Amino acid sequence: MKCIQTPGKWVTMRIPIRMISITTTIFWIFLIVFLVSAVYSAKDIRFDFGGPQIGLTSDNKILFSLPITIDNKGYYNIGCFNVTTEILDKEGFMITRTSTFIPVIEKNRRVMATHNVTIDINDLQNSQDYLFNDTELEVRETVSIKLAEVIPVQASTNLSMPWGAPLYNFTLGEIEYAGFNGTHMTATIPINFENHASFDLTGNIQICMYNSTNILVSKGQTTIETPQNTQYHGHIELNVPIIGITENGHFEVYFLTPLFEFGPLVIPYD
Amino acid sequence: MTEEKRDSNKRLQEFIRKALKATIKGVLFYGIYFVLSMFLAPVPEIVPGFQQMIEVFVMVYIFLMIIGELTAGTIFHHFFNGTKALFVILYLVFSLNGGIVGTTVQNVNLIIDLRLFLAVAMLLGLLGFAKSVLQAINFLNEKTEHVHF
Repeated sequence: MKCIQTPGKWVTMRIPIRMISITTTIFWIFLIVFLVSAVYSAKDIRFDFGGPQIGLTSDNKILFSLPITIDNKGYYNIGCFNVTTEILDKEGFMITRTSTFIPVIEKNRRVMATHNVTIDINDLQNSQDYLFNDTELEVRETVSIKLAEVIPVQASTNLSMPWGAPLYNFTLGEIEYAGFNGTHMTATIPINFENHASFDLTGNIQICMYNSTNILVSKGQTTIETPQNTQYHGHIELNVPIIGITENGHFEVYFLTPLFEFGPLVIPYD
Repeated sequence: MTEEKRDSNKRLQEFIRKALKATIKGVLFYGIYFVLSMFLAPVPEIVPGFQQMIEVFVMVYIFLMIIGELTAGTIFHHFFNGTKALFVILYLVFSLNGGIVGTTVQNVNLIIDLRLFLAVAMLLGLLGFAKSVLQAINFLNEKTEHVHF
C-alpha cells in the first residue's frame, strides 16, 4: 500500500494556526502579568486620612476638612482618584455632596489633598430639629481609584455622624417683674441652653413678648457668645408697659447668627 | 507476531512520550500558578473564596491540558483544546460575576471592575477556541488528503 500526499494545502493552514497560537500566548502572558503586577503593586499604595478639622467658611457654612495623603510606591500610576462624601439626614434627604478628584497620581509620587465638606444649616429641612435636638447624620463615603489607570476599584462605607444641637434644651425661665417707672416695668427673662455643636455660637437672640390678646407689648435682644460644648445662662430685660401685662401670653424668639437665622420660636408663658 | 509486538512497543513509547509531555506541561503550568499566587497572596484575605476559585480553575485546566496531550494525534486532542478554551471563557464569566467583583470587609464595600480584563480574556479565549476549530479542520483535512492506491 502506497500513501501519496497531495501538495501541502495543510502546510499553508498550519502557518496561520501557529500565528494565532503565538499571538494568543503572547497576549495571555501580557494580560496575566499586567493584572497580577497591578494587583500586587496595590499593596504599595498608602492612603492616609488625617483627623477631620471643623471650621467655618468665609460665607458662614460649617466646614469639615479631611486631609488625605496618597503615597504611590506601586509600579503603575493611579488614575481617577476620587473621594465623595454624601451627608444625609435621618429621613434620607441629602444635605450635602462633595467630591475631591485627582486625575493622576504618578508612581513614586506622594500627593496631598484636602477633602472639604460644607454644610449650610439653612439648607437643612426641619432645621428646628437640628438646632434644638441632638441627632445623628448618615455619612456615605466613597473612594474610587483606577489601578494602573485601567482597573477601577471602589470602596464605600456608611458611617453615622453625631450632630450636636447648638441650642440644645433652649428654655426661657420664669419672668421676674421689677418696677421701672410709673408706666413701665422691667421684665427679666432668663435664657438657658447648651451648645452641643462642634462650633462656637455667636449672634443675637431677639424676643418679642405678646400678651394674652396677642398684642406686642415689648421686644428686646441680647448678644450671645457660647463656645462649643458649653452651657449658656443669661437673661434679657424688656421694658413692658404696665397696662399691657397680662397673666399669660407668649414669646416669639428669633435667632440671628452668622451661621443661621431662625424664628419665630413660640414659647408660651403664664 | 514480532511485528505486532513492535507495533505495541511503538504505541507504548508514543503513549509514554505523550504522558511525559503532559506531565511537564502540567507541572510547568502549576509552577506558574504557584509563582503568581505568591504575588496575589494578600487578595484571598480580602476576597473570600478567591483562593478556592483559582484552585478549581487550575485543577480543571490542568486536567483538560493533560487529557488533551494524551489524546494528541487524534481529533479528541482538538476537541479537548476547544473545551479548554470554552471552559476559560465560561469560568471567567461566572466566577467574576460578569466582571464586577464585590466584597465586604469590615463595613467597607469593595468593588473591583474587571470588565475590561474579562473582555480581553474572553476575546483571547474565543481566539483559542477558533484556533482549536481550525486545528480540527486541518486535522481532518490532513486525514482526507492521504490518498490510498
